Parts: sequence; C-alpha cells; structure tokens
Amino acid sequence: MPCVRGNVYEQRRAVRAMSVSSDQPDDELTIPRAAMNKMIKELLPNVRVANEARELILNCCTEFIHLLSSEANEICNQQQKKTINAEHILMSLDKLGFGDYRADAEAVLKDCKAMAAKKRRKSTRLENLGIPEEELLRQQQELFAKAREQVEMVEQQQWQMLQAQAAAAQQQQQEQQAIDEDEDYS
Amino acid sequence: MAGGESETNASLNNNGVEAATEELPGEEEEKGSGLRFPLARIKRIMKADPELGLASQDAVFLVAKATELFVESLALEAYHYTSQSKKKTVSRRDVDHCIDAIEALAFLDGAMD
Repeated sequence: MPCVRGNVYEQRRAVRAMSVSSDQPDDELTIPRAAMNKMIKELLPNVRVANEARELILNCCTEFIHLLSSEANEICNQQQKKTINAEHILMSLDKLGFGDYRADAEAVLKDCKAMAAKKRRKSTRLENLGIPEEELLRQQQELFAKAREQVEMVEQQQWQMLQAQAAAAQQQQQEQQAIDEDEDYS
Repeated sequence: MAGGESETNASLNNNGVEAATEELPGEEEEKGSGLRFPLARIKRIMKADPELGLASQDAVFLVAKATELFVESLALEAYHYTSQSKKKTVSRRDVDHCIDAIEALAFLDGAMD
C-alpha cells in the first residue's frame, strides 16, 4: 500500500523553499535531541545506540507528528469544527494503528487539565497580590490620560507643521505668480 | 518521574562539540506530568504543515505524549532486532528493519533520506 501522506512531504518541501531563516527553520524542527536521548537511555539503560539510529528515530518522530496532526486535521474538518481537539487526536491514533497509545495518552491528559486549572488559579492569585483593584484601576486611568496627552501633543505639533508648510507653499505660489505676471508684461 | 523541574539543556561548549541546543529562547514550558518534549516545539512542528488549522492545548499535549510513546516503541522494537542479531549497539539498520516490518510504520517508508 503506497504511503498516503505523500502530499504532506511535498507541501513541506514547498515550505522549505520559502523558509524564513532562524536558528532552526520551522521545517527542520525536530524534538530536542537531548530529551529523546534521555528517554532512550531510561528505556534501554545499558544499550548503546548508534548516532545514525538516533538521527533516524529523531526524524521519524517529526514524521509521526505530521502524520498524527494531519489525520486529526482531516477528522476535525469532517466534523466541521475549527479547532483540533483531544478527541480528534485520540481517534487518529486508533485510525493510524497506534491505538495502544490511547490509554497512556488519556491518562496523562487528566494531569494536563489539572495543571492548566492550577495555572489559572495561580495567575489570578499573583494579580491580586498587594495592590487592590481600585488602585490598579486608578493607575490605569492615569496611564491612559497621560498617553492621551502625549498623542494630542504630537498631533498638535504635526498640525502646526502642516499649517506652516501650507502657508509657505501658498506664499511661494503667490511670489511665483507675481513673477509670472511681471514676465507677461516685459 | 513526574516532576515540575524543567530540563537543563545547556550547550556543552561553543567549539562545535555537540551543542545540545534544546529549548529555544521563549520556549520554556512547564511540562509537568513527566512530559519530556516541550509543547511549544511540538506545536511549531505541527504548524509547519500549512494545511493544519488550530489545535487546542489538549491536542498538542496529546501529540507530545503520543510522540514520546512512539520514540519508546520504536527504540524498543529496534532493540529486539539488535539483540536478535547478537549485536551490542542499536544500528540504523535495526530501526529500518522495524519500519519494514511494522505496518503502522509504513508511513516512514521512503520518507527518510
């Protein structure tokens, strides 16, 4: 059965052609090598793994991510949803023959939600630290007022400049006219 | 194994010895629940596909976890071939062997250099 994801590779080749330069161009991104090595080390503690093998596994991961995302994207589109959600990913795993990942993945998802909730609570606590809301509001109004003043000042200056330019232009025009008229009579 | 500590991924040195540049600036992520791969990186890899739409955080999280499981599976499978051939080092060939042998890995066929 031929690889059905061929078009993804072609697309990425096209992306490569217009790649923006950065430390790691987006289309050459891989998962962090050290993270992967650490995982393999923990899994196979006394086993040596050739660099070529590591490189290959690393690149396979990238392909895997694309495969999984692509499949989930399709499912998402079929459902006429705008955002790929967790269920789409889980369904993709099943569909692509990685159903045995589901259990572990789902288990860890709970942790993720718990963490996200914790983060939200944490951030609101930080915001309330020390400064009461009314004071914050007052400071905000002050800042806005200052900003407005500055904008008005700049606009005022610009307007004055324009006026000066217009006046100068008009004067020049009048002088030129006067010269022209003189010439007519000479 | 689950911990809040983020990985220290310092570059070894500036003279070309394998610089383990791992987390790019701005990518510091709280991984939590033992996730090894930074979510921001996973997301960027996903976004390299121009056809991909938006993905929820949960979705990215699952992709990250699935990728970890993938690494483990692949490494483990490759090792089976290594030990079968009575070698001590997992070679590229062992990994290739997995790709050939396992149907779910057919998508990797010919995608590698």
